[in-house]
Amino acid sequence: MEALAALGGGFAVALAPHNLALALIGCVIGTAIGVLPGIGPLNAIALLLPFCLALKLPPESALILLAAVYYGSGYGGRITAILLNMPGEPSAVLTTLDGHPLARQGRGAAALAVSGVGSFLGATLSVVLMTFLSVPLARVAVAFSPADYVALIAFALSLLGAVSDAPAPKAWAAGCLGVLLALVGVDSGTGVERFTLGSLELLGGVEFTVLAIGLFAIGEILLLAEQRVRAEAAKLGGGRGLSLRELAACLPAMLRATGIGFVIGVLPGAGASVASALSYTAEKRMHGTDGRFGQGDLRGVAAPETADNAAQIGNLVPMLSLGIPGSGTTAVLLGALLMYSITPGPLLFAQRPEVAWGLIASMYIGNAMLLLLNLPLVGLFARLLLVPASVLYPGVLALSFAGVYAVSNSAFDLLLALGFGVLGWWLRKLGVPLVPIVLGFVLGRMLEDNLRRALALSDGEVLALLHSPVSLALWAMTAAALLWPLFRRRAA
Amino acid sequence: MTASRLLGAVLILLAAAAAFSAQSLVVPFAADPLGPRGFPTTVAAVLGVCGALLLIPRGEPFAWPERRLAPWLLVAAMAGYALLLAPLGFLPATALLAGLVALVFGAAPLPALATGVGTSLLLWALFDRLLDLPLPRGGLG
Repeated sequence: MEALAALGGGFAVALAPHNLALALIGCVIGTAIGVLPGIGPLNAIALLLPFCLALKLPPESALILLAAVYYGSGYGGRITAILLNMPGEPSAVLTTLDGHPLARQGRGAAALAVSGVGSFLGATLSVVLMTFLSVPLARVAVAFSPADYVALIAFALSLLGAVSDAPAPKAWAAGCLGVLLALVGVDSGTGVERFTLGSLELLGGVEFTVLAIGLFAIGEILLLAEQRVRAEAAKLGGGRGLSLRELAACLPAMLRATGIGFVIGVLPGAGASVASALSYTAEKRMHGTDGRFGQGDLRGVAAPETADNAAQIGNLVPMLSLGIPGSGTTAVLLGALLMYSITPGPLLFAQRPEVAWGLIASMYIGNAMLLLLNLPLVGLFARLLLVPASVLYPGVLALSFAGVYAVSNSAFDLLLALGFGVLGWWLRKLGVPLVPIVLGFVLGRMLEDNLRRALALSDGEVLALLHSPVSLALWAMTAAALLWPLFRRRAA
Repeated sequence: MTASRLLGAVLILLAAAAAFSAQSLVVPFAADPLGPRGFPTTVAAVLGVCGALLLIPRGEPFAWPERRLAPWLLVAAMAGYALLLAPLGFLPATALLAGLVALVFGAAPLPALATGVGTSLLLWALFDRLLDLPLPRGGLG
């Protein structure tokens, strides 16, 4: 088994003491930010990225740390959802439906335990699937021509409108904004300055960390300052713990949720929120008569939490194998790799096995760490909810600016990050999703580069973009994704 | 005018500006068939179409979101921070910023002061002592 040998090499990387320590730090930070409302994995990774660069961590170590924050957040979101009836992460919305009633009935500890086990199971089984599927998928993608890549990226961007909660034109417009932001600076193909508005600082383009920290970390705090919501926590203690029989009863639901979550995660565009909603609905349909869904059914906690973590891992598959991120957070991880001059995609597994396999191996270890951290220490993480907003957000904001400064040492970038913060705040108020902006930003240059290559190969003949069966199929799917919102609106 | 339609209009203006600015891009010799102009112009066109789609009135009118002063106070504090960081140095500037943010988030003056000083000392210890990352020293060094 080729994959197992490669995975062995990955474990050699992941088991190095400093990488183990980074995975543990990432898991703790991930769970913590999952608990805290207002800070998600996306902001946290954007905030940590400057540290990785400034400390000159090797790319595989940086990715191990950042990815641990990413999948660790899937363990933390449930704590807030169950105890506060407030999702710590958007993908934990469904967990509130049964999780909070359970907590009110004094069974919060059982709900937390079953969701912890579910998170572990969903994530670990998905890592197993990823171990065996990534390389075959990458092999398919190696044969892709630049024209095929143009079609693939266009498809990924068109899906933004089809799967977003927001109106499709808003999602697509946000994607276009991201692409245009990516074009700022000296064009690598022709050496021409574009959209720099005469500013010297913008010649090198918009720094990815500045955009991500500005839009997400600063923008979120501006939004929070306007809304000021704070909820009361349900008590954790007391009540019966989780019995083995109850856990066994949840097992089939967890396995189904893993399947749903992984498949949804691998599809570009659809993320953990869709996966957890689908698997919750599936369980509710199956057990409609004998279940107490909505009033505190353990399976109603297990299914969405399992699917959430499975989808998070599934999201990483197209990011690593194709170089196309499936969600906002994986787009940030991709951006992190690009800052290290590593281009994820079909050649990553062959050329930088220590990065690709080191990450996959570290996820086996990280998820085991998370299970051990989360079962006994869940009370400690729940304490984080007691930190008042007036202490938490000043810290996050100061950390945002310090992080931007550590990378760039320029007041200009601090102001630029503030500008993106105001932009993110206003776009959110107007119902424009921000995730397409980062996706467009990381995919924009890739799209133009591949378009350029494709047109150079065809001597400027535009119809050559449709020549291969792969690109034809992808363009057809793109057209379907563009038309889908029309039908969706009729149906609703 | 609903917020959604105003957004559409702004997006159309932005698309027009981007497309206009892209047309001024010229390369002395054409190395590749696409050039620097084609791609941004296409993206600007798509953006313009999205903006136009937002002009079409929809079922429910999208009301103006709530507006408060607090976020603008934060914006002013952050802009001041960006400009004062180098001359003041990291510790005082960050203490000032974090203290102001704490006030905006509803802290009383004394706890806000404590949050400000505590945050800046903690971050300074993390960046400067533990991780050895560059921070501006300012006049107080």
